Amino acid sequence: MTITVPTSEPTKTGRSARTSGRAAKLGALALTETRLLTRDWTLLVFAFLFPPFTMLVLAGVFGSDPDDGFAMRRPDDYYVAASTGVSVIALALIGLPVALASYRERGVLRRFEAFGISTARVVAAQAAVTWGLILLAVALVLAVAAPTYGIPAFEHPWQVLLGFVAGSGTLVLLGVAIGLAVPTARAAQAIGLMTFFPLYLLGGGGPPRTVMTSTMRSISDALPSVIPAIVDPWIGIAPVGDHLIALAAWAAVALAAILWLTRRPRS
Amino acid sequence: MSNVAIEVEDLRRAYGGQPVLRGLSFTVHTGEIFGLAGANGAGKTTTVEILQGLRRRDGGRVEVLGLDPDRDRSRLRPLLGAQLQASALPDRLRVGEALRLFARLADDRVDWRTLAEQWRLGPLLRKPFGTLSGGQRQRLFLALALVNQPRLVFLDELTQGLDPAARQETWRLVEQARDQGATVVLVSHDLDEAERLCDRVAVLADGALLACGRPVDLTGAAGTVTVQFAAPSAVALAGLVDLPGVAEVGYDGEAASVVVAPSAVVPLAAELDRRGLRPADFTVRRASLSDTVVALLTGDHR
Repeated sequence: MTITVPTSEPTKTGRSARTSGRAAKLGALALTETRLLTRDWTLLVFAFLFPPFTMLVLAGVFGSDPDDGFAMRRPDDYYVAASTGVSVIALALIGLPVALASYRERGVLRRFEAFGISTARVVAAQAAVTWGLILLAVALVLAVAAPTYGIPAFEHPWQVLLGFVAGSGTLVLLGVAIGLAVPTARAAQAIGLMTFFPLYLLGGGGPPRTVMTSTMRSISDALPSVIPAIVDPWIGIAPVGDHLIALAAWAAVALAAILWLTRRPRS
Repeated sequence: MSNVAIEVEDLRRAYGGQPVLRGLSFTVHTGEIFGLAGANGAGKTTTVEILQGLRRRDGGRVEVLGLDPDRDRSRLRPLLGAQLQASALPDRLRVGEALRLFARLADDRVDWRTLAEQWRLGPLLRKPFGTLSGGQRQRLFLALALVNQPRLVFLDELTQGLDPAARQETWRLVEQARDQGATVVLVSHDLDEAERLCDRVAVLADGALLACGRPVDLTGAAGTVTVQFAAPSAVALAGLVDLPGVAEVGYDGEAASVVVAPSAVVPLAAELDRRGLRPADFTVRRASLSDTVVALLTGDHR
């Protein structure tokens, strides 16, 4: 058996080789994580079937006539746009924390760490996979909407993109923070569900925010509400800027928590 | 290459002010199976976690393959393999996927298919981790611990919960790993396992080194053997305890158990013969490592 022990400082070529090696390892981890997530049927059903199903029902119930409760926009347009945000919440706040917490609970993170794969790298792989699945789930919602209610025109396409990136990024960070903070997968699932429903209902996934009382609306404004960050600029209810401050604040809190949780001195 | 794989000197570590390691010192030689044995809570797992750089030490000097695990963590990691106590893999991860992933993470130094064949994992490649038996899991963990061709492997409580057949097989695999050139540090609270498998053993008690050496030397250091034979009555044994080299005479109503120095066995047999006792079941049992450690722990070491 021959082992090569690095004894000198890496050359520039060595550094770039190491960077590509790290990328390849992250890719291998992400591929494995993707395989594992696609075998979790509970998550797949919830993240991929629940949003299009509720879209079909709610858009069907409220119809296509512009309505005062929907800021004089078509309800079916509203629910098609809103359902893309529901997929984001489900994957980021239920799928991701449960997977991470289960890794921590069962010693999988320690096994990786003993192998020289840091927790940060595993987290990065899981976050990347979650983001990929979010894109897939959103595509599925739009694919179901296209032949039924149609895909609403983008009033402010760049703002929608900004809202989607800021909203999904913030929720993925929150999902990572929850997954790293809680001791068990069960706890992660409980917290994920407890955060999913307020964000879904108060974010406008059920009743639109325009019909909420001022108190509920204030609470909704303070939450990391991805749904209005996507819906409002999409169908022209409001500019995305109204939601970016709350999202940025939540992202900062989540990032600080993640840094603290991953950089705690080893006890 | 140095003959020393690990050097530990005056290693100290406390949790919340409670000392767990109290000035531990030992050396592990290249190419040996070195056992860290002792009761639960003796400090074995903390020691190996410090040696791997997974935990920081409070004091003392540690060198693993010439590197400091705290300072040179990233250089040390690729040289180590590890089977950690109480760590698993995702239940849905298949055996083949685990091997392929860890081989990739180790820069494909070993062909994972070859490794699978070598560790008889070929038929299990498509089986999810969650469906493997205890023995199959340990076989996979051993293969994963060796996937980066490590110079030093830490195996923590490897056979815990295995049935006797799986235990025997795991022991054979550990010896195979050593024969392939790796130095093995085996952590076990099972002293029979340490005695059976290890070239040398360090016995820890309450965070300190109780004894360290070859199992045969440690058991020999206890300095006694136990002679057992059937005896008609306690009266027939009267006065035996006064013979030179006899430490203790016991009688349970059917059999006598006499603890003696090895040199006193023949005089004891002669004395029994003189008393007309010629038991057919006269047996001499050397103390096991377990007996020796218990004796050391209870201060009953003669």
